[in-house]
Amino acid sequence: MFVLAGIIVLHISTIILLLVATIDNAWWVTETVSTDLWGTWRLKSSEWHYHNLETSPDEFLQSVQASAVLACIFSILGLFVFVAQLFTLPKGQRFMFTGILQLISCLCVMIAASVYTAELHTGASGGYGHSYILAWISFVLTFLLALTYLILRKKSE
Amino acid sequence: MLAVLVSLVSLGIVAQQCQAIVIYTGWERHALVGSDIRLSCSFFSWRWTSEDVTFSWTYRPDGSRDSISIFHYTGGEAYLDNKGPFKDRLEFVGNPGRRDGSILIKNLEFTDNGTFTCDAKNPPDIVGRPSSVRLLVFEKVPIQAGVITGAIIGVVLGLLVLIVVIYYLMRFLVARRVFSLNVSKHGKKKKEGSQQRQLWTPPPLTCYPLP
Repeated sequence: MFVLAGIIVLHISTIILLLVATIDNAWWVTETVSTDLWGTWRLKSSEWHYHNLETSPDEFLQSVQASAVLACIFSILGLFVFVAQLFTLPKGQRFMFTGILQLISCLCVMIAASVYTAELHTGASGGYGHSYILAWISFVLTFLLALTYLILRKKSE
Repeated sequence: MLAVLVSLVSLGIVAQQCQAIVIYTGWERHALVGSDIRLSCSFFSWRWTSEDVTFSWTYRPDGSRDSISIFHYTGGEAYLDNKGPFKDRLEFVGNPGRRDGSILIKNLEFTDNGTFTCDAKNPPDIVGRPSSVRLLVFEKVPIQAGVITGAIIGVVLGLLVLIVVIYYLMRFLVARRVFSLNVSKHGKKKKEGSQQRQLWTPPPLTCYPLP
């Protein structure tokens, strides 16, 4: 009972972390700029202004956007499939479908964060913001969850 | 009494507004240098299209405040620019009878960046706002923001749906095949089973007398 509640709580908090990492524009932060994935915040005379990205953003940034969104989608799908499989799976079987969805989500987060690290802001001065850190944390969490789903077996009495 | 008067007056105002002509062009157009572009202009009017319908296009270059007239259609005749920047490059490709006043600009140059305004009049319906379309000329047309993102997401989700559908289809088909096989073999199996039962009798217990 507690195991089930714990897993569901962990899954929901992973989804929340993924959503924050995707939505909040704080992947790259300098003293006056907080940017990506969707727009840029610039500090002008002690006020933050929101700018859209330039008309032709990098193809790499667009692929990071797509991967991050896909990771969120697959994780949320995984939660629904897990709840469904709780009722429909025969006893003693593994939560394969859920585990696979969670694994794909983990893969997408890894692709997003890696492409971002490798291609964007190379050589610029600044630091990675909290969204970037959350992305890596949710990578670890999704991986652990995927392993849990693939190893866990439904109780057979 | 006053209420009736007010409602009549407001009806009159509303009727006047209904008679305003609404002009549609694009908002922004992107094109490659050297190519041709069709700038479309159409209008909506509560009146039938009259014979005196007029279309006129004016051009205002980027960064300039003056606009020049480059095209005028009136009295069934189209008058194209023969002195200005679009000399010999304009062509009228619209159909005034169908309320279409589109023009074609050939062989675009970088100096053609600017705002094109279309004004249409359909007498007696002449009150309306001209509509503008901005032309951007590129050496290489950039990929619009979000196209790649949407494409990747769409393809991956489509693949997922396809895989799930194929998986369940395979399971359904295999189940059906097994079911149909069972039907034809079920009769045979039954006969075989009964035959076997007849054939298979437990071996008789023979007791060997003890030496």
